Amino acid sequence: MKSKNKRFHKGLRTAGLFFALVFAYLVLAIPFRVMTVIPGFTEIRPVQLLKPVYGVFFGIPGCLAFAFGNLIGDLLGDSLRWSSIAGFAANFAGPFVFWLFWSRLSKTPFSLRTGTDLLKHLVTTVVSAFTESLLITPVVMLVYADVDAMLFAITVFLNGTVFPLLLGIPLMILMQEEFGFRPCANRYAPL
Amino acid sequence: MNRLQANLCLICVTLCWSTEVIIFSCIPDGILPFATTVITSGIACLILLTCFFKRIRQEMARSGKKLLLRCLILGVIKTAYDILFLYGLNYFDVSTGAFTFCITVVVLPVILLTMKRNVSKKTWASVLLVLTGIVCALGGTLVNAQFLGLLIMFVGCTVRAFFIVKLNEYAKEHDPMTLSTWISIIGTVLAFAIWVVLQPSTFASIPWSGTVIASFFIYAYFIVAFAQTLNIFAQKSATATGATIIYSLEIVFSLIWSYVLPESLIDRMTPSPYHVVGALFIVAGSLIEILEFKSRRVRVEIKE
Repeated sequence: MKSKNKRFHKGLRTAGLFFALVFAYLVLAIPFRVMTVIPGFTEIRPVQLLKPVYGVFFGIPGCLAFAFGNLIGDLLGDSLRWSSIAGFAANFAGPFVFWLFWSRLSKTPFSLRTGTDLLKHLVTTVVSAFTESLLITPVVMLVYADVDAMLFAITVFLNGTVFPLLLGIPLMILMQEEFGFRPCANRYAPL
Repeated sequence: MNRLQANLCLICVTLCWSTEVIIFSCIPDGILPFATTVITSGIACLILLTCFFKRIRQEMARSGKKLLLRCLILGVIKTAYDILFLYGLNYFDVSTGAFTFCITVVVLPVILLTMKRNVSKKTWASVLLVLTGIVCALGGTLVNAQFLGLLIMFVGCTVRAFFIVKLNEYAKEHDPMTLSTWISIIGTVLAFAIWVVLQPSTFASIPWSGTVIASFFIYAYFIVAFAQTLNIFAQKSATATGATIIYSLEIVFSLIWSYVLPESLIDRMTPSPYHVVGALFIVAGSLIEILEFKSRRVRVEIKE
């Protein structure tokens, strides 16, 4: 009974965290709808800075929040299309790559204190952005032949690398070093 | 936060500031800069207060009046140099005017010396390179520039340098989040006072639209709430001179934006060779400050 209650509270906390993360995503994403690159398809998306943050600090609920946030953003921005399904998958995969790397592949715990740590993070970011681009672009190419696929792929890739690196890294440093957030994607962290 | 992390944060702050031009291009020219400050700083302090209320309350209980007084000083100095820059920039074109901001790098070590504080040789080398960059970029325009314009910018940069020194000092003593929130609140109040004098219709004079509101929010998130707070956190682990040298990279980022971004977002311009060479000198100066040069390794043998 006690463990059932504990599980219920944990589930409730995770659900609360998920909604809070989706809300934070939308608050940050919606104003940037005015900075369009390909109308209806992609714009300049600084919200991508949250991608490593959600993956590393919030794990799977973070990855889901990132994907749902993007989907709801599409819905609110009147740009919900068939390609949004691929967009959902890509936006889940983006933060998931960070979670996967820091929780399963890396031999050291997550930190951004040294040049080596930063290099690892850079490579993970590039892989994550490439995965996103690879998941969305073919679908957009198939369904919407009139869209410039190359420009689309480049925009997705640049959004997925520039913002997580330039804005995401300082935010993660701030969260870990100053606000005491513990990386969720860290199998070395003390329980 | 270690020194490397602080420098990275300062680069990010500079990058955010450099995007100001892009955001401003979405805000109609008729809107006064003070109106933008009131609305964006207002939104930013509301966000900070909502998210970190407990932390701010704790810091206020600890430091109280002393902190408020210091924030008031910082807020007044910030408003003063904002006004000076606003009027000083009227004497220059956009690209040349942006280079004059970097004069702060040269003024700051001098201020530190007058305050009897040490400035390292490495920093002086950086300052020299940045100064060469500024002179290069301003080139012929420096000769033709009106003396009054240069004077206003020089005074503005001196006031800004003093602000950075004080901010660096206070950041090491108080909670950066609380400092940032109070600086925003005081900045909002002061800018509102000026706005009322210049444009009594205030909020009614703004041509509200989706794009304008979105631009205000973007500015509030990134330039005020994020960059300003991150800057104060980074200042805790950085020196005032080091921070200012990194700030001078703003012009380099601005040049990159003006060349790379699509015309739908920004008025594109091709930088002159003088600007490019000047920017390269500034990058070199910043790199010297950012990179840690290790002295020759000394092997230490421990005898048992």
